[in-house]
Amino acid sequence: MNTQTLQAMQPDVEKPLFVGEKPMPKYIRRSVLALSIDDAQLGEKAYASWADAIILDCAKHPGRDWQADLKARVPAAIQAAARGGAEVFVRVNRDSAAAELEAVVFSGIAGVVLKGVTAPEDITAAAEQLDALEVSRGIAHGALEIDVEVDTAGAVWHSLAIARASERFGVFYVNEAALCQNLGMQSTPTLAFDPLEYIKSQLITVATSVGGQAMGMSYPLGLAQDNADEAIVKKAVRLARDTGFKGSMCPHAAWIKVCNEGFRPTAEEAAYYVKVIEVFAEGIKRGMASVPIDGKMIDVPVDLRAKLYLKWANRAQVRDDAKARAHERQGN
Amino acid sequence: MFVTPTNPRFIDKAWTRGGDVYILDIEDSIAPAEKERCRTLIRESIQKANKGGASIYVRINKPFVDADLPYAVWPGVDRIMLPKTESADDLRHAHDIITRLEKERGIPVGSIELYPMIESTLGAVNIHELLTAVPRKLSSMGGAGGYDMAMNLGIEMFASFDQYAWPVAYVALAALSLDIEATGGVFVPNTSGRVDQGDQAAKQAAALHAAGVHHSGALHPNFIQPLVQGLSATADEVAWAHKVIAEFDKLTDAGESVGMLDGKVVDKYEYDSALRTLEWAAACAAKDAYKARAMSRAQQASA
Repeated sequence: MNTQTLQAMQPDVEKPLFVGEKPMPKYIRRSVLALSIDDAQLGEKAYASWADAIILDCAKHPGRDWQADLKARVPAAIQAAARGGAEVFVRVNRDSAAAELEAVVFSGIAGVVLKGVTAPEDITAAAEQLDALEVSRGIAHGALEIDVEVDTAGAVWHSLAIARASERFGVFYVNEAALCQNLGMQSTPTLAFDPLEYIKSQLITVATSVGGQAMGMSYPLGLAQDNADEAIVKKAVRLARDTGFKGSMCPHAAWIKVCNEGFRPTAEEAAYYVKVIEVFAEGIKRGMASVPIDGKMIDVPVDLRAKLYLKWANRAQVRDDAKARAHERQGN
Repeated sequence: MFVTPTNPRFIDKAWTRGGDVYILDIEDSIAPAEKERCRTLIRESIQKANKGGASIYVRINKPFVDADLPYAVWPGVDRIMLPKTESADDLRHAHDIITRLEKERGIPVGSIELYPMIESTLGAVNIHELLTAVPRKLSSMGGAGGYDMAMNLGIEMFASFDQYAWPVAYVALAALSLDIEATGGVFVPNTSGRVDQGDQAAKQAAALHAAGVHHSGALHPNFIQPLVQGLSATADEVAWAHKVIAEFDKLTDAGESVGMLDGKVVDKYEYDSALRTLEWAAACAAKDAYKARAMSRAQQASA
């Protein structure tokens, strides 16, 4: 289904459906790939990946002035990572966040991903520093996002305060292996149930409550991080989407295509939403705001959901089109 | 069960269905162009729907609280349902208007319960603040799932697993911590999404009953009898409760606190649980008797 088809289904895709409507999901960020700035193939891998977002990891090399080293190399790495049209982020450790932010924040990034967060003060401190760095580095005020990689019990416990700590907050990434380790749990998926189910649901709920989103994968793949068969990844992505995740970190390049296709409404779902909208509109003409389709109740929120999800499908297609154009430009 | 006052086929027959509660809806089942007419029908709908002895709730619209409440607060209304509640201010605003209307209409002040419906992630995370916002009885607390929450979370409904694990449990825990009855928290798969299948209602009732939850809602009359039956205490449960109480009384007389009955432990916990079973059985019996008398009167009147 291309953009034109989707727009024909719902002509007013950009028109707000209700007062105060926020984009749902906030970002079309279905697949996220982490790459090291030390990777000699960084640009090629980023370009070939078709990931919606790239997170850059910046190692501190011993024996060098690591800040000067990163300042010298990060701008080029950002450019290389963006070759395929991905949003680019830089991952920063909470323990040395102030020094790292100084060394890695440059024009071209969409934001930073903080790991090791344990309290809302970690976010407010980073936000204040970004205020200053945006001024000194020619970045629009408030443009940089702060995402949080949830890998500690503290981050889970304080998740609401963390998400509310700054307008810059955008995303919770669930790092299942690190979280299990922090909680003293086995970090291999040996159980028949997801031991982090409740925590994942909490992070999804909290992130959504502030207009953000949560990123993660379903059990057991989210914990195992296997380079599994496409069918297994596809099923896991569907489960993750049904849980409320809007995308996932992709430890293997093979996950990216599946995530890009899976973390969005399918063509079949889009066709069903169109039917819902049509049936509901006919009901309204007859003065009925609750009408059935195959025994399912269609009322105001179901109709509204159908319209919102069509917008989502359209935005995902627009994102894919933009990445395709970036590839064409880079290919020429 | 939810009932649309604008549809005579639904509202006129509602009392014959045997439900414990009818919810007169001005919200999502009412088309925008019909809202005004619906408001004017609420007062007479109360008399129609409670003929069979059911309690009456009214679900209003969050964006139209000021416009809806003057048409919703009447003698005979037990509860106002406030959808999509997200903040303490939402509750305070509704409470203030209801209090004024109670005074104006000779209704004991504070007698109409307020039910904040939690249908968004923001409502869920703010639950404790909501439940302590007003000096009015909030008699039970469920929700944090359903159609609106699915939309807010951006998920497809009717998955085979619990998509609302945290918000539903969090809301229920907040309610219980404030001695407010919790009516949510139990997941029963419904992958078809159908709202008209009695066997689904029976499964739902069994799961809720096992978890000690006493109430559930319906969108279709086919749900009513399975829910009424499934959520009531069974004869076996009542008989067992009597045996436990008798055994614990014997233990107490003997100066002991723990014993065995048919291979099961009997202690203070089981004794209290048995008392709750009998209380619930008595409440169900009283409601059934009240409905039977009302139903009989209504049938005679319409004969």
